[in-house]
Amino acid sequence: MSAQPAGPIDPTRVAGQPRVRRRPGPSLVVGGSIVAAVVLMALLSFVWTPHDPTLVNAAARLRDVGDPEHWLGTDKFGRDVLSQVLVGARTTLFVGVVAVGVAGLLGVPLGVVAAMAPRWVGETLMRAMDLLLAFPALLLAIMFSAVYGGSTLVAMIAIGIATVPSFARIVRSGALQVLSTEYVLAARAAGRRSWGIGLRHVLPNVSSLVIVQASVAFAIAVLAEAALSFLGYGTPPPTPSWGRMLQESQELLFSAPRLAFVPGLAIAVAVLGFNLLGDGLRDRYDPRLEDRR
Amino acid sequence: MKPSRIAAAGSVLLLALTAACSAGSGTSDGTSTTGAGGTTDTKLTVGLVAEPVSLDFTTKDGAAIPQALLDNVYETLVKVDQSGELQPGLAAAWRVSDDKKTYTFDLVQGATFTNGTPFTAKDAAFSINRVKSDWTVSLKAAMDVVAEAKALSDTQLEVTLTKPSNNWLYKMSTRVGAMMTEQGVAGLADKPVGTGPYVFSQWRRGDSISFTANPDYWGDKPFFQDVTLKYFKDPSALNNALLTGTIDVIGTVQAPESLQQFEGNDKYAITEGTTNGEVLLSFNNGKAPMNDVKVRQAVRHAIDHQALLDTCWAGRGTLIGSMVPPTDPWYEDLTGLYPYDLEKAKALVQETGVGSTALRLRLPSLPYATSCGQVVKSQLEQAGFTVTLDQLEFPAVWLSTVFTDADYDMSIVAHVEPRDLATVFGNPEYYTRYDSKQLQADLAAADAGTPDEQVDLMKKAARELSQDAAGDFLFLLPNLMVAEKGITGLPKNAITESFRLSDLSRG
Amino acid sequence: MLLHLVRRTAILVASLAVSSVVVFGFMVLLPGDPARVALGVNASEEAVGRLRAEFGLDRPLVEQYASWVSGLLRFDLGRSYVSQVEIAPQILHRLQVTLWLVVCAMLVALVIAVPMGTLMAVRHRRPSGFLLSALSQVGVAVPAFLAGILLITVFAVRLGWLPANGWTPPNEDPAQFLRQLVLPVLSLGLVQGAVLTRYVRSSVLDVQREDYIRTARAKGLGPFRALWRHGFRNAAVPVVTVLALQLSTLLIGAVVVERVFVIPGLGSLLLDQVSNRDLVFVQDIVMLLVVAVLLVNFLVDVLYVVIDPRLRAGHS
Repeated sequence: MSAQPAGPIDPTRVAGQPRVRRRPGPSLVVGGSIVAAVVLMALLSFVWTPHDPTLVNAAARLRDVGDPEHWLGTDKFGRDVLSQVLVGARTTLFVGVVAVGVAGLLGVPLGVVAAMAPRWVGETLMRAMDLLLAFPALLLAIMFSAVYGGSTLVAMIAIGIATVPSFARIVRSGALQVLSTEYVLAARAAGRRSWGIGLRHVLPNVSSLVIVQASVAFAIAVLAEAALSFLGYGTPPPTPSWGRMLQESQELLFSAPRLAFVPGLAIAVAVLGFNLLGDGLRDRYDPRLEDRR
Repeated sequence: MKPSRIAAAGSVLLLALTAACSAGSGTSDGTSTTGAGGTTDTKLTVGLVAEPVSLDFTTKDGAAIPQALLDNVYETLVKVDQSGELQPGLAAAWRVSDDKKTYTFDLVQGATFTNGTPFTAKDAAFSINRVKSDWTVSLKAAMDVVAEAKALSDTQLEVTLTKPSNNWLYKMSTRVGAMMTEQGVAGLADKPVGTGPYVFSQWRRGDSISFTANPDYWGDKPFFQDVTLKYFKDPSALNNALLTGTIDVIGTVQAPESLQQFEGNDKYAITEGTTNGEVLLSFNNGKAPMNDVKVRQAVRHAIDHQALLDTCWAGRGTLIGSMVPPTDPWYEDLTGLYPYDLEKAKALVQETGVGSTALRLRLPSLPYATSCGQVVKSQLEQAGFTVTLDQLEFPAVWLSTVFTDADYDMSIVAHVEPRDLATVFGNPEYYTRYDSKQLQADLAAADAGTPDEQVDLMKKAARELSQDAAGDFLFLLPNLMVAEKGITGLPKNAITESFRLSDLSRG
Repeated sequence: MLLHLVRRTAILVASLAVSSVVVFGFMVLLPGDPARVALGVNASEEAVGRLRAEFGLDRPLVEQYASWVSGLLRFDLGRSYVSQVEIAPQILHRLQVTLWLVVCAMLVALVIAVPMGTLMAVRHRRPSGFLLSALSQVGVAVPAFLAGILLITVFAVRLGWLPANGWTPPNEDPAQFLRQLVLPVLSLGLVQGAVLTRYVRSSVLDVQREDYIRTARAKGLGPFRALWRHGFRNAAVPVVTVLALQLSTLLIGAVVVERVFVIPGLGSLLLDQVSNRDLVFVQDIVMLLVVAVLLVNFLVDVLYVVIDPRLRAGHS
């Protein structure tokens, strides 16, 4: 696991420009569909799963894929893998929403403030962000889990905090760009107060940057949960989670590789989906790309 | 340059890197000495799971230290054999006085410590007395009963007890009975000195501990000259290490499901036996709702032990009905006391109204506990219990929350010390908070009585304990080892604190 | 430029001071009594109390902090609570192990990323570029430990070409060292390579649109030649930044791969000591990591000015 976004965003070119509507590219379509599928799985799991995902059933353990009762087979506890995958989608979304939520709720205002406040405040805030970057996400998650007890929420708050700087930086440079546009200068001249400018002009114009960054951060959070689960700091049992399913499948890697394959694939596809969505959104919002189509 | 060529160049580079590194695949993996029957490899690497934090078991707890050092570097006066009987060790013979308070040991001739000083009765007296004066682990309580240990001559040791105790002699086979030399105690933490068949040579922290055979050993010389104990956090990595020849023996299989890959494979031999590790579903007997015997009985009836063993430990292990492993002289099959009976459990849950209280099952973050905990929760919920599962970081958080503060309703822990019934249930201060005067009286009488009385009274205690549902005894951890074919001498039952290396050979 | 350097140094020092307080604060919050953990289940209460005093845990927090920091300033990292051994040599030893792993992995990542990323950028409008891009996306999506498990299953267990795990110091048995290094390096390097590829791609894309490249292309140079001649230095700036950042996060991030391959690296040491509640030890490791990242940032900052002439002239 690593804390890098899967692709850089250069915000200086996008903010403040009028948005262009275009036919969605293949990344957006594929990414969007995958993400939609994950969301649907999670929603479905609230109303229906083929079996109780945590029900232990010694009589039905280690069924193979294609079993008439258990389509994706069962694990060593006799729990239905499909049901676990469905409910696991919830955990995956929860993981992403918490991490991105924390990062966005802290990072966006910090970025805007850093851009609009007096120079020394902005500089100090950004140096603080640099300092936060010095604590790798995984390290923070492990320390948080040790301090506040291992739970998905705690781990993801830590991942979210570690992601704050990337949001703050992007929003700040986007906001600086907006602030130097003529209509903002005009609004300033008209005596509008700075928080008004922030709300009316800056936030709407950096929102596309935030959305792109959010989808990338979402993917990172999902990977982080898997890595933490592998180390035993992630989602605690019995809540189904793809990361823990993968970890639990370890000892059966030879006799039942499907148990690793299913959650492994789910994680990889979901991460791919969020990254593609991010890419697609960037293509759509980033005017640089216009000349390439 | 064409782009396709760049891609090609990239992949060639990658391949080259891989190839360059795998070029050494053919090199031999160890030095070999030539024995009478041809080439015999006298190097051995054993894979284990828990690395010691220190080598000093006089001040640090943990099963990993005696596992590595006892019987290999340190020796004891008496030893326990495979059937649980005491056998001579550094003491060739011993006599007990009629009042059962004075023990006289005749020590073996010719034993020396690896620093060169001979082993005498003075050293034995020093070692026993030092437990009381310098040890800090609470296991030292086993020596509280000693009034005096003194050397009668170089080879005769006399130990006087304050009261008769059967347990004392048995405990002398565990780490508290380790014989040390006064010159060696300064290096306890990193340079252990004993009389054993092996000499400690190197500790690569985070990786392995290695030993070499002691050339001056007083007893039978061990077969393997260089032995390394290699530690793996991850059970799967341990399996892979054996499959690819990095290690020769898996000393303890912690992922029993994975045994399938070794079964039916001619290259490997599996050893399966028993241990002293009772996996206990412990109850907080001192606090509502678990202080109600009916609630505890409901739990015991609600658990389908065979199904639990099948799912969480691949069906390996032994079902026990109390806190006694089959290798102890007072073992009885008590699994019939609380058979799986869902209807009875449901009725008891109804009667006590416990179903509306959430029981906190607080697990240490250990593989067997996490695994069994999920099964226990699922089974209890089918009987109408409400169970919340908390996974607490082991050791730090579990120790302070469950063990020290007893802030829990149920937990799952394997109690691996030999003959630990009295430790776990005989002391109301212990985390099980089990306070039965009858049981305490029986345990005390068993310790003081003749060997026959001891067996009878311990049987009684084990039965009382089980009947009163002081805990639920999920199963006994199996001794599971996998070794390359040809390695002999692995113990069927792992019932001592040590991993005895000198018994092993390649045949 | 000198002013820039002075300012950066001041910021570095301030950051170090703040982070030392943060790291120490974390240790204070950690639940679980280090002395109790060190002594384990079979410890008597008085022994726990005595050990607490021995660890210095009964002193006021300010005093504990002061003695720790003053030790750090004298390069004295102190002794481990649990094993009583000197901490510094152990950290150095583990760091060295992890550095082998991480540096080799980053080399593999570079070998993959630079050609692939460039190719993807140059071909970005063609199917081949799209295909490569999709491939790198898949690479990014695979958790490193999953890659490791797959590599072990195929190359070690099924094919038996390489050892499944383990670590041998290079000076003891160089051949074995290399054999054991291949799989962990690949599993870390492939995934990091996929990540890096995307940065290379976008930074080459940026450079491609610069006027000087367009001019060069107009003069008839092929796309690769134009990049090679004129764009490489500029494209390298963001890539070097990412590389440095990846390197420093990987010091801990490699722990997952270390766990899969049973490599006694820095991350594993940290996890062990957190679990042992060896507080000073944990403080030292975390502080070392923070210092490493801050120093790397500092150096990259300085390097920026050296690589990019525009930054040299303009800024501050």
